[in-house]
Amino acid sequence: MTLPVAELSTENPIGPVGEGERKKIAGRSPTRIAIDRLRKDPIAVVCFAFVLLFVIIAVFAGTICDLLGVSTETVRASTRIDLVTLMPLKGPPNHGFDPEHPFGVAPGSGTDNLAVWIEGCRTSMYLASVSAILSTIIGVTLGLLAGFLGGIFDTVISFMTDLFLCFPFLLAALAVAPIINERFATDTAKLKFVSFYALVAILVFFGWMGVARLVRGEVLSLREREFVKAARVIGVPTHRILIREMLPNLIAPIVVSFSLGLPAYVSAEAGLSFLGIGVFGRESWGRSIAAATKYWEEYPLFLLEPVIGIAVLVVALNLLGDAIRDAFDPKTRR
Amino acid sequence: MKRNKALFAGVSAMTLVLGLAACGGSDDEGGNDSFNEGGTAAGGKNASAVGPAPALEGAKPGGEMTVLAPDPDDGPTSLDPAGLWSVTDNGIAQDLLFRSLTTFRQNGKGGYELVPDLATDLGTPSEDFKTWTFTLKDGIKWENGKPVTAEEVAFGIKRSFDGDTFATGPGTSYSKPFFEGGEDYNGPYAKGAPADFPGVEVDGNKIVLHMAKPFPEMDFYSIFPAIGPVPLDAPAADYGLKPLSTGPYKIEKYTPNQELVLVKNENWDAKTDPARRQLLDKYTFKFGVDPTVAGKTVLSDSGKNTVVTALESPTYSQARKDGKEAQTPIGPQPCTSFVMPNYTKVKELEVRQALAYAYDYENVWAAGGEIPGVTRANGVSNPDLGFNLLPPGMVGRKVWNGPEGQPAITFDPAESKKLLKEAGYEPGQYEVSFVYDATTPQGEAAAEQRKNGYEESGFKVKMYPYTAGSLYDVWTNPDSKLYKKINLLGTAWCQDWPSSATFLPPIVKTGAAYNTGAFSEKAIDDQMDAISAMPQDEQAAAWGELEQKVMNEYQPVINTGFYNTIYGVGSSVAGFNNDISVGGAPDYRTMSIK
Repeated sequence: MTLPVAELSTENPIGPVGEGERKKIAGRSPTRIAIDRLRKDPIAVVCFAFVLLFVIIAVFAGTICDLLGVSTETVRASTRIDLVTLMPLKGPPNHGFDPEHPFGVAPGSGTDNLAVWIEGCRTSMYLASVSAILSTIIGVTLGLLAGFLGGIFDTVISFMTDLFLCFPFLLAALAVAPIINERFATDTAKLKFVSFYALVAILVFFGWMGVARLVRGEVLSLREREFVKAARVIGVPTHRILIREMLPNLIAPIVVSFSLGLPAYVSAEAGLSFLGIGVFGRESWGRSIAAATKYWEEYPLFLLEPVIGIAVLVVALNLLGDAIRDAFDPKTRR
Repeated sequence: MKRNKALFAGVSAMTLVLGLAACGGSDDEGGNDSFNEGGTAAGGKNASAVGPAPALEGAKPGGEMTVLAPDPDDGPTSLDPAGLWSVTDNGIAQDLLFRSLTTFRQNGKGGYELVPDLATDLGTPSEDFKTWTFTLKDGIKWENGKPVTAEEVAFGIKRSFDGDTFATGPGTSYSKPFFEGGEDYNGPYAKGAPADFPGVEVDGNKIVLHMAKPFPEMDFYSIFPAIGPVPLDAPAADYGLKPLSTGPYKIEKYTPNQELVLVKNENWDAKTDPARRQLLDKYTFKFGVDPTVAGKTVLSDSGKNTVVTALESPTYSQARKDGKEAQTPIGPQPCTSFVMPNYTKVKELEVRQALAYAYDYENVWAAGGEIPGVTRANGVSNPDLGFNLLPPGMVGRKVWNGPEGQPAITFDPAESKKLLKEAGYEPGQYEVSFVYDATTPQGEAAAEQRKNGYEESGFKVKMYPYTAGSLYDVWTNPDSKLYKKINLLGTAWCQDWPSSATFLPPIVKTGAAYNTGAFSEKAIDDQMDAISAMPQDEQAAAWGELEQKVMNEYQPVINTGFYNTIYGVGSSVAGFNNDISVGGAPDYRTMSIK
């Protein structure tokens, strides 16, 4: 029996598919899909704008300070504060807005709060980014090796991961800071440099384990997949398999852990600086908070500025990180 | 003596080291009314004072009081009489717990006078002040009802020689150097200790003390609990956790560095005690309290029976704003903080003098969180206080406001540059270097102010942050890397009793531990030895003269402020006094609850 011609033609359109149509059904990478989803997520967009703002402040700190006419330089305290009450002569908390010092000046020393805030933002962002990048690199490398090579590599790396996870981070920070300061005590310039990178080192040292575990788990399941097996069969070298076959498939978990790591480092730096073992010789929000807690009642703004800075940045980074995770997760549908 | 208090960085000195202080003597120079609101007015000695202590007008017996010592003052680690040598601990122990041979009491005119305590009088010295005889009063009892014997007093004194067990005690500074055979005697617990120590003898109820060199101030030294009784069977190490009381209160509960609860001692007899009273039912001391919490508590209703030993300046300012002046009295302390140029590195007198004009006093204080003229003061805030080495209220002290023939010291960059030029240095040529406490933002801010002041005054400045501990670790350790780099050091010093003998030698004598500037002039050393051997009534004036000479001719130290502490007093507390006889602590013998 034959089918009528008319019916056949409707089922099978003749001729090549149009250009526009092909684009519509073209395969998109998971990253592309995630970015598209992010762009449609209002929270992600707002948070990204905030983060971008902080990044701009951090990168152009010096220029912004110059534009606003403020600086962290020490001035003679009595030119800006009342020696009887230790409170500013102009501006908050006892007087109106002072255009020369939009955030007011610090009680006691008279240093400009805005300049300190901007420099503190730079310290936080810089330290958090460097720490997050380094700990991600270390974590990914170790996770890849442990997961893919297995055997003794896996045993040793997993053991190290567990070991570092159970070592108390705060204790290590408390112990290391004075040792470094003592070692470089006589060279102030070097001390400033070393103490900053020592803090980065401590944060990285105790920050790579999460990424390493995550990556190792992913690799364990990936390495049994066909495309990896195929690559091995045709004799692709191990490093090439790791970089060209595995890594692209791990982008999602890495981006997620990086974006959630940033705010954690921001708050860790502030916490350590508050305890007096953080950065040294530079402004930092943690140090500002430590200085301001006593003045809460008399001069609330002094404490609120760094607190709000940290709160906004950390919340923005966290929400952005959450949004990225949701965007990368194929199981979430909104 | 150690101060259990943090002293903020900026001021060169961080920890007051010695500091059991007492009243002025008989002819105080005075002139420091506003600073010394509490009064270090002359008290002198009163050998005939007998118990009971004069009644206080309007003082009502009964009630309980809480005393908060804010962090970092963590109170006594041990209450062993031989080990007590810090302001907070001695205030509690001397006023409430332990009686010693002599003690101080308020004389009704605001000053503190030396009175007999366990002894019947202030002791009888031999003509050369090398033998002292004290007679023990009858009827003194321990808290368990047993009588206190002269043997027990002698045992207590002998324990003070044990520098190993009681390293924090005053014995190593006074017992060992002055008593006959003291240098070789290490107390009754030491291995192979002789049963008989020739320095301390007991004859019936008499205690005879033999000195190796004249010690005219043994009666003052006898105020320490270390010169009081200890039961003969007391263990060396743990006695301090549960010591027996002889005073009006006994220990109900004691957790070292945290809490101490005292209740009435029924076996204390007011008739034998000219200084102490038993007004309150109970004292609760809490140590290491959060400073902000302590400040909030004492100014609120729930803290009306509370006393705080040190308030922070923001709490003080806020209280003044709220009209609570009466609750935040200021207590002067007989202490001075110094910048000490290293005498071997900063050789020119003109440079040392220039440094005094280059220190931006009030701004350094303010940046360090101290209120100029309130918690720190010297000639800058009130010319009557001067820039002396000795604190106000010292007998024989004359106000010194600057070298002879030069303008009074204040922050004066022009004068500093002039002096530098005289010494042959152009502005920016002479380098000064110092360490500062970088653990707090205030410490850094104060150091920045100090640096600015020096630079404006023609110095080149190098400053080194220090975060590993107390600045004394650097200042007193010539082997430290930092010590070798710096040429400006420091100290803060409190007197032990109202005699320049507890102040000048520790600061300017060659080789003294806290002479951190390593000042050394043989002529001055010789003169100090000569004054120590002079009759006591001539000493005060001689010390005063010597101080003027030292400051005019050598300027070994730069005065960076005298100390005041701000107390917090609850609204129901009556009879609050600043007890300068222990270096600035609440006088627990005069307080009551309204």
